[in-house]
Amino acid sequence: MLFNIISERRKMIDKAPANQLPSTFAVNELAKALHPGYIPARIAAIREETENVKTFTLVPASSNKVFPYFRAGQYITLSANIGESLLTRPYSLSSSPKQALEGIYEVTVKRDGLFSSWLIDQAAVGTELVLGEPGGDFYHDNLRDSNKVVAIAGGCGITPFRSMIKAVIEGSEDYQITLIYGARTRSDIIFKKELETLSDERIRIIIVLSEEKAEGYEHGFITADVLKKFAPESASFFLCGPDEMYRFVKDELKKLEITDKNIRHERNAAGNRNVDNPRVFKLKVRMRDKVYSIPARENETLTVAMERAGLNAPSRCRSGICGFCHSKLISGTYTVLKEHEYRRAADFKFGFIHPCCTYPDSDMEIDVPTV
Amino acid sequence: MKQYDVVVIGAGNGGLAAAVKLLSAGKSCLVCEKHNLPGGFATSFVRGRFEFEASLHEFNGIGTPENPGSTRLLFRELGVEDKIEWVQLKDAFHLISKEEDYRFTMPFGLEAFAEAADKLYPGGKKYTEQLFSVGLQIREALEYLSISKGKPDPSILKEKYPDFLRFASCSVSEGFNAMGFPKMIKDICSAYWCYLGAHCDNLGFIHYVNMLYSYISGGAAIPKHRSHELSLAFETRIRELGGDIWYNAEVTRIITDDMGHVSGVQINDGTEIKTRHVIANCSPHVVYGRLMDPEAVPERALKLTNSRKLAGRGFTVFLALDRSPDDLGIKEHNYFIYDTCDSVRQYKNMGKLHENSAQATVCLNRAIPDCSPEGTTILYMTTLFTEDVWSLVTAEDYFKVKNEVAASMIDRFEKSTDTHIRDHIEEIAVATPITYARYCGHPQGTVYGYESQYWDGLLPRVMMVEEDHFVPGLRIGGGYGERLLGYPSSYKSGYNEAVRTLRDMEKEGE
Ligand SMILES: Cc1cc2nc3c(=O)[nH]c(=O)nc-3n(C[C@H](O)[C@H](O)[C@H](O)COP(=O)(O)OP(=O)(O)OC[C@H]3O[C@@H](n4cnc5c(N)ncnc54)[C@H](O)[C@@H]3O)c2cc1C
Ligand code: FES
Repeated sequence: MLFNIISERRKMIDKAPANQLPSTFAVNELAKALHPGYIPARIAAIREETENVKTFTLVPASSNKVFPYFRAGQYITLSANIGESLLTRPYSLSSSPKQALEGIYEVTVKRDGLFSSWLIDQAAVGTELVLGEPGGDFYHDNLRDSNKVVAIAGGCGITPFRSMIKAVIEGSEDYQITLIYGARTRSDIIFKKELETLSDERIRIIIVLSEEKAEGYEHGFITADVLKKFAPESASFFLCGPDEMYRFVKDELKKLEITDKNIRHERNAAGNRNVDNPRVFKLKVRMRDKVYSIPARENETLTVAMERAGLNAPSRCRSGICGFCHSKLISGTYTVLKEHEYRRAADFKFGFIHPCCTYPDSDMEIDVPTV
Repeated sequence: MKQYDVVVIGAGNGGLAAAVKLLSAGKSCLVCEKHNLPGGFATSFVRGRFEFEASLHEFNGIGTPENPGSTRLLFRELGVEDKIEWVQLKDAFHLISKEEDYRFTMPFGLEAFAEAADKLYPGGKKYTEQLFSVGLQIREALEYLSISKGKPDPSILKEKYPDFLRFASCSVSEGFNAMGFPKMIKDICSAYWCYLGAHCDNLGFIHYVNMLYSYISGGAAIPKHRSHELSLAFETRIRELGGDIWYNAEVTRIITDDMGHVSGVQINDGTEIKTRHVIANCSPHVVYGRLMDPEAVPERALKLTNSRKLAGRGFTVFLALDRSPDDLGIKEHNYFIYDTCDSVRQYKNMGKLHENSAQATVCLNRAIPDCSPEGTTILYMTTLFTEDVWSLVTAEDYFKVKNEVAASMIDRFEKSTDTHIRDHIEEIAVATPITYARYCGHPQGTVYGYESQYWDGLLPRVMMVEEDHFVPGLRIGGGYGERLLGYPSSYKSGYNEAVRTLRDMEKEGE
């Protein structure tokens, strides 16, 4: 024998049992519990919050009794067939992580756009939806963020903060929250009763009404003055609301010399871009061994074009950040707005795009992963 | 039903290299990847204004275009060399060990390394030179073994590679003892042990010294645009050669015919694909334990798989800091931080959830100054868990536990390097064994395949490749393959399995 090591290895193998191998492992099972991919669910209750806003209570539609645990502030996706299209949209969870373990997720939706309007007007108790697992990085991290959080919400942007507030009260998260919540009038305040009856020394609620003056409310916008008045020293600022609010509040925060490190905002999905008389281009989509030729409107993203055509296009954050829709560009020219540009450096080099925030400037051909 | 000459399961380094080789030989090939990106561990991710490298610390065997290392030559053959921009690293490592009170930097280059060792330990030059001459012999002997396809001429081995034969069955500790190394020289020369994830009493001498020699003689590099650049270079090459690559396509079954030969695969949406050959870039535990019908798995395959030890389960803290490395006092690119250079004790300590005190930490800006916006730093700290301590963590505790472990790694880094980073964290991501299990699907979140124990190390695996091949039409390559873990090894292993598959096809008259 040239190498003893070979006979030694043979011996080790001889000695080993011929048992069947485990088909799974504890760590892999935990990974699956936290990240199951897609989850069938059913609407169990619908609650009207304001005229245009409803909260949907979701429960598992499978034999599973629980939903994946998550970090307060994260979002899920909801998918449903609407007409010819299969649509998928992200929504922040407004329920708490603990409720997930009781088999409850809640999302709070404002009438807006195709899918949200469908939810508000058409979806009913019993309607089945497919959920995409929780994700996103809009959550408090105790290694990065201050234990004093200033949560700045605009309109429906209150949803992730409701989850955070609940998590603090339930003890799964440990920080103080100063919520500064901008709404137009009192009747637009989502979770009004819940917020106003809340009493917990770790949570402070300030509501700023822009179109109404009322006792017990601030009036106007969320300005540097308001922030100075209510924000504690060395806090971390979390923003969730419309893009105009981000621009406005970030300028105000700059006046207070708050650095980028201490400001985080939830990214909004890429909407339509403004184009006069938008053209319609030809979009060729390759998905595995299939090729589709579909129209793509100049003012809409490629993902919207695919959804309109009934293709099951990958869709998660719809804002460019999660990378789930990562696709190969074969030909054509396009535009990505700066606030949605989160591609990796090598993607530029080898021609990859995120269709969820890419607008066509010509006929295009792309190769998209099947979901 | 769709049909291919070969289906590759997994687009990790091994799977990508295998596909390119097969396509270059004119075969039709489909790569099925369960994730939505190519690369497996070789990838990157974006948080805020930063793009993090997911795994790579350093890549050895690249060299320069004029003086190419073995992996550059492989990339050249596969047509991807020109698609990748490399950045050479300056120093080998900065070693910090509490018990021995070490804090020093070792350079690349055989001579420079020997000189540095001599400064640290007078007379050290002689020992390191001796080790490098053995290292050179090991490299040449392994090349000879690979040319002789596992059937070497014993007289040639004895005559030309006596040191190789002498150390063939040794662990690192046995080898260093046999060479009479003083403790400090042992410590300097074994500092890379964490890269292979087995302690020196268990780690095969041949495997380790071959790697050490490759690092020190040839230096190391990293791709300019993270390892995502490597993976996209390969995936682009696959497209150029007319290959197909399907994402979100987990293979759930490898189908065999009455003769026990591979006849197809099934993917997660139920689609079946006909093929006579499969190269699996995933763990044999997964292949024999889940993908194949139990009756189709030969007994010896079960025995072999049961005999092996899962290697380290990965854990990494990724940090983006809002100050420059200069401001923070982070001077080095590559730190090894240990409690003790006694690798046996350090390894044991890595089996504990809250006490794991070893880390290999990289400051990416020290290699690529503009890898993050001006005035910021990217730093990532990796360790391995040598026991399944993460199995006990519940979903509810998970986020808390991972930040506790991350916090202790950050503390240790600060204390060991006299830096202060905690108040400058602008972005943080923490990858645990659960994360690695999720992305690559390996058992228990292992990132290093099967442990490089001396009896299951490089040499015995290379010599027994055909003996370890059980199912006709099925080959397994990548980090679980005969060359073990690591970037260069996984590419090479995938390539080798493609060559073997081509040979199998020729034999079967295809
Ligand atoms: C934190 C960290 C740091 C590291 N640092 C270094 C370093 O500095 N230098 C170095 O050389 N090495 C390093 N390594 C090791 C190196 O990354 C790995 O050894 C190497 O990437 C493994 O490649 P692989 O070919 O085995 O594929 P893997 O990366 O293991 O990929 C396997 C692929 O197969 C896919 N797959 C699995 N099962 C299926 C299925 N059933 N169907 C379809 N697809 C499937 C997975 O999704 C994955 O994409 C490091 C690893 C880690 C985690
Ligand atoms: S869906 Fe997240 S990047 Fe496109």
